[in-house]
Amino acid sequence: MSTRHRVRWVALAVAVMLVAFGVVLAVQHRTEASVPRLVQEHKSVPAFELTTLDRQPVSARTLRGKTYVVNFWNSWCIPCRQEAPALQTFYAAHASEPDFAMIGIVRDDDPGPVRDYVAANAVKWPVAFDPDGSAGLSFGTTGQPETYVISPTGVVACGTLGPATEAELEAWLRIARAGGICT
Amino acid sequence: MKRERSLRVWAPWLALAAVVVIAIVVVAARSQPSDTPTARASRLYNQLACPVCTGESVADSNAPESRAIRINVVRRIRAGQTDEQIRDAIVALYGEHVLLTPSNGGIGVVAWGLPVVALVIGAGGILLAIRRWSRTPRLVATDDDAELVEDERHRENLGEPVE
Repeated sequence: MSTRHRVRWVALAVAVMLVAFGVVLAVQHRTEASVPRLVQEHKSVPAFELTTLDRQPVSARTLRGKTYVVNFWNSWCIPCRQEAPALQTFYAAHASEPDFAMIGIVRDDDPGPVRDYVAANAVKWPVAFDPDGSAGLSFGTTGQPETYVISPTGVVACGTLGPATEAELEAWLRIARAGGICT
Repeated sequence: MKRERSLRVWAPWLALAAVVVIAIVVVAARSQPSDTPTARASRLYNQLACPVCTGESVADSNAPESRAIRINVVRRIRAGQTDEQIRDAIVALYGEHVLLTPSNGGIGVVAWGLPVVALVIGAGGILLAIRRWSRTPRLVATDDDAELVEDERHRENLGEPVE
């Protein structure tokens, strides 16, 4: 084989390797950015143990058997404020249902502003602090608001990064209650 | 006599090899990572990327996610987990992109292997080029050169004065 032919083959091999590398990278990052990782993979809800503002313990263990909503938020987050009316309407519609629960987990905020916000905005659902960020970490949160809907069997069925709408929450609750998952 | 000469030739090379081996052993021994919990935590903070920042390690970032990861790493070290188990646990939460150094499997193999392959191809290319250059004579006599030399010889034989 002549040198020129050899060089051509080597160049072709390098080009093929680079293209393959690019394809692998492209495939790896082809995930839906607005859907949390736990929801994409439909994993079991991570263990968390927190205390609400009313000093009541709340954990994944005590909520098992219910369909429940976990909403990560804080008082200074503008999208959380935009999302609040949808959460309030949704919670008011389902609060009396025995198999339903909702919990707000505060990320990166101080007790004073959170208590003020809860009082001013008539937040009726339990709100808990995550002082060391362990609950947020176990959910793999990357900001706020983030919402997760957990099925009675403890599977993370549906959810979103960013504000959820009332229609989305209703649809996710229906799916999770039926033992389904969002696809 | 012959043995003495060969020893004289090889002695400097053996001495050089001994120095290189000792240097490698010393450097390897001194660069062994410390296994204290603080050193391990610090090393892991620097190996993990802040999941919500751009180009910042968990060690450098003050994002809530990074703070939570730092607390979690310390807890896991106290619980007796290995560095690999801790890295795997964080990757399970945030994905491979949270690693600042490529993993030893999957896409990481390509990331580690590509520079090596490029190095081998480059070295091979240089070797081929050197071999070709060493085979090719620097100056090649053309037919005109040969004719000129022949004419000169002919003239010398005839006793003609050289211009």
